[in-house]
Amino acid sequence: MADADEEAIRATTTEAPQIETDLSDETQDFRLLNHLNFLSDTSSASLPRRGEKDFEPNPTEFQADVLSASRGAMHNALAHPRIHHPKTQVVGIYAPDGPTPPPQAMVDEKGLGVSSDYCVCVPVPKGQYFKTIGQADRWNRVWLLPEEAMYLMERGSLDIKWPRELSGIDADDVNEPLIPMSLQAAYACLLGRSGLTLERYTVFTGLRRLGYAVVRASGWDDNAQAEDSKNEINKHAYTEPQQRGPGLAGIIGRCFAWLDDPFGTSSTAAGPIVGCGIHRNYTDVYRKLATIPWYDPAKAETRDPLDTDAPFRVIFHVYKPSTPIKKSAWPTPDFRIAVVNAREQTSIPTLAQIGALLESTPLDPPRGEKMDRLMYMRLRHGYRNVVLAVVDQGVTSFLRISDAAFGKEKLYENKGPPTGPKRGGNFRPKKR
Amino acid sequence: METSSLQPKAGPRGKRGARPGRPNYRHIHRHPLPVNVLSVPPVIPHNPLSIISVALSYLTFLISPPRQEVYSAYFDSATSSIHVTDERAIKALWEMGFFGKGTLSRSEPSWLEREKKRRGLLGGSTSEEATRKRRTERRELKLERARVEKVAIEERLKAEAAAKESGDVLPAAEGSTIGEKFSVKKAMEARYRQSRSQTPMNGDVSAPTEPPLTPNGKSVRFSHVVQEKEVVSSSAASLQLPDSVLDEDEAEDAVLENEEHLQISNEEAFFLAYSLGVLQVYDREENKVIPTSSLFPLLCNHSQFPPRTATAELKPDDPFAMSYVVYHHFRSLGWVVRSGVKFGTDYLLYNRGPVFSHAEFAVIILPSYSHSYWSETEERREYTTAQQARSWWWLHCVNRVQAQVKKSLVLCYVEVPPPAASSDDIGALISRYKIREFLLRRWIPNRSRD
Repeated sequence: MADADEEAIRATTTEAPQIETDLSDETQDFRLLNHLNFLSDTSSASLPRRGEKDFEPNPTEFQADVLSASRGAMHNALAHPRIHHPKTQVVGIYAPDGPTPPPQAMVDEKGLGVSSDYCVCVPVPKGQYFKTIGQADRWNRVWLLPEEAMYLMERGSLDIKWPRELSGIDADDVNEPLIPMSLQAAYACLLGRSGLTLERYTVFTGLRRLGYAVVRASGWDDNAQAEDSKNEINKHAYTEPQQRGPGLAGIIGRCFAWLDDPFGTSSTAAGPIVGCGIHRNYTDVYRKLATIPWYDPAKAETRDPLDTDAPFRVIFHVYKPSTPIKKSAWPTPDFRIAVVNAREQTSIPTLAQIGALLESTPLDPPRGEKMDRLMYMRLRHGYRNVVLAVVDQGVTSFLRISDAAFGKEKLYENKGPPTGPKRGGNFRPKKR
Repeated sequence: METSSLQPKAGPRGKRGARPGRPNYRHIHRHPLPVNVLSVPPVIPHNPLSIISVALSYLTFLISPPRQEVYSAYFDSATSSIHVTDERAIKALWEMGFFGKGTLSRSEPSWLEREKKRRGLLGGSTSEEATRKRRTERRELKLERARVEKVAIEERLKAEAAAKESGDVLPAAEGSTIGEKFSVKKAMEARYRQSRSQTPMNGDVSAPTEPPLTPNGKSVRFSHVVQEKEVVSSSAASLQLPDSVLDEDEAEDAVLENEEHLQISNEEAFFLAYSLGVLQVYDREENKVIPTSSLFPLLCNHSQFPPRTATAELKPDDPFAMSYVVYHHFRSLGWVVRSGVKFGTDYLLYNRGPVFSHAEFAVIILPSYSHSYWSETEERREYTTAQQARSWWWLHCVNRVQAQVKKSLVLCYVEVPPPAASSDDIGALISRYKIREFLLRRWIPNRSRD
């Protein structure tokens, strides 16, 4: 018996291919669910941590026990009854034709105060979701956008009912209960409404579930165009190759240039750019070498968010859970997101598309003591930034793109080589 | 340059410990570019003497200008590559600006040194050997980890079998998994400390000796094989004192021909020849110097295979022209630019040079055709669309690789100008291109929450 087991070990260790472990896979040890008291006590805020995981099967009963315990814990957690208490139930009514006033009320010239994109009405809003979701009209009813209604419905926090007119109930019979809408019906009715594609919904609901507040930005409507379209790249944002101007400064400059290079050996036409003479220091050499124009993001004008090409335009503003939010006056977003369907837009953006997208975001230069100190961090942060959500058949990859102005960091002005040990690769212990 | 600079200087004690000292790279690579720089005494306006001294130094320059060294390389048209064979030029180009790559080495041309060491003529070790040694150690440790894990499983099986026979119940499968996880990182750390405490410091007795302890205070056991090997290698390292480096150079050179030369990329060669004027490129067949004005079209024609004929018109989006523009741009900012082919990118950017730090940025060159010329006809529009097309999958692949090797990905768009009337003025030609860089990295919503 023991021999057979040893054979099995050898077989598994030699034949099993090396399993690539990616930490972002975030496999959870479900046994931890047993220790959680969220099933009985909702006030506890602790989240499950990741446990250790065996990557190869072995014939020990120990491993088998661990596995069955994990399975048991998962089933236990799933089997826990989830009850919707009638007191906390939130009901929404589908409005296929957009926001309408309540039956008795009169609509005056002020209108409803709600955009026509909203399509689910919640007469009695309660619960924490409405802090960041929906918009109230003059009668204190909250209207929801299709993605918001779908998200709440999928969470089980909202019941959507068919309106009386569509369900064939006598409109005047107030006591007759409304017919609930199924999830399938909600997908059919709400997806595709007012520019909501499945890709946009995937991104919205994914970020929402992670705790972010997500709102539509002005670029939501693909067809919306800016009134004065620049439709070209910010030309003046590129630096000019150096030239010596006229006037006294130019004469003095020429004078010094002659001192540097008295025989006129320096030439950009046939080289050498730096000349054959003697240079006083390397900074001068590098200055002479700067002949290629580069884009300076700080000089570029910010464009209208609508002056961009769909799908490379910001359609969501995203707020971290910690950002205080007032629905009447949304603060500056923490992230701006453009959603791309990788099956429709199959190639990566061209410079015109991505340049316009970045120029439509506000200037956000690297600031702070840390940024001043660390050049790499400055470069990585950039002057403007945007997040691209590339959705490929339901799989979302988020890419943060920022304008890095390498030309603004004159590396040659830094004194000496970088300090600190060469990281990675060879092992070195920490300094004590 | 001087022989003294090759003498390895011991790093700061306590940080490097008993390792053979690294060469003083700050001194060897003190010139960032292979051009002469003479410091002129500063002008102090209220001190007439300083003006006189400045004038004097200028005068001496005018009377006897110090010569700028010009190195030579040859162009091989069959392989479209440029080679430097002169020993002195190889050394100068590597030390001042890290140009080129040894044809038999990973980057620095070190074949001769390695060969000498292999034949037991030199002490010390090259970077290739250090890497090989590290990889062997790592592999041994991984084998050791596998062994430890297997033993733990066997023990567990035995215990289970015994428990089954006696009818006992083993402790439930709650809590810890089998044994303790064997961490390669911890083992490397422990081994490093161990080697330090075993090897006597060079002429230094005051070094603290300590038992091989991991930070948690747990000692890690090694198999006998590993431990013996460790002792041998560390004592061998301590015997090879770095003092014996390079004293019988001439005697060995007679026996050992250097089979290696330096290959410089076409962009590097053009930068050295055109921008700095320190390189002359010879045509191999005709044995004549290629003037800079015809070097540019030549290298452009050789940017594809098979090379275009010399009479062909230069395309503005020629791969060589675009990659040279990017190379020149980053060089002019002070970065050391080297090929990024090993990470699937066009360039890697080093701060000061590869011996000082790892590359922080990996650059990808992408063409852009925003000029109205390129959208004038249907044919041109189709051409530019095809030229700009890159798939999302490709981008994700490159991005994930860079994250794995801890580099930041830079998308470097080059604005392609319409075709130029003439290509005589290279300066005017290359300054028609425009560069815009973007940094791209994965955004992970789970970790950006606060």
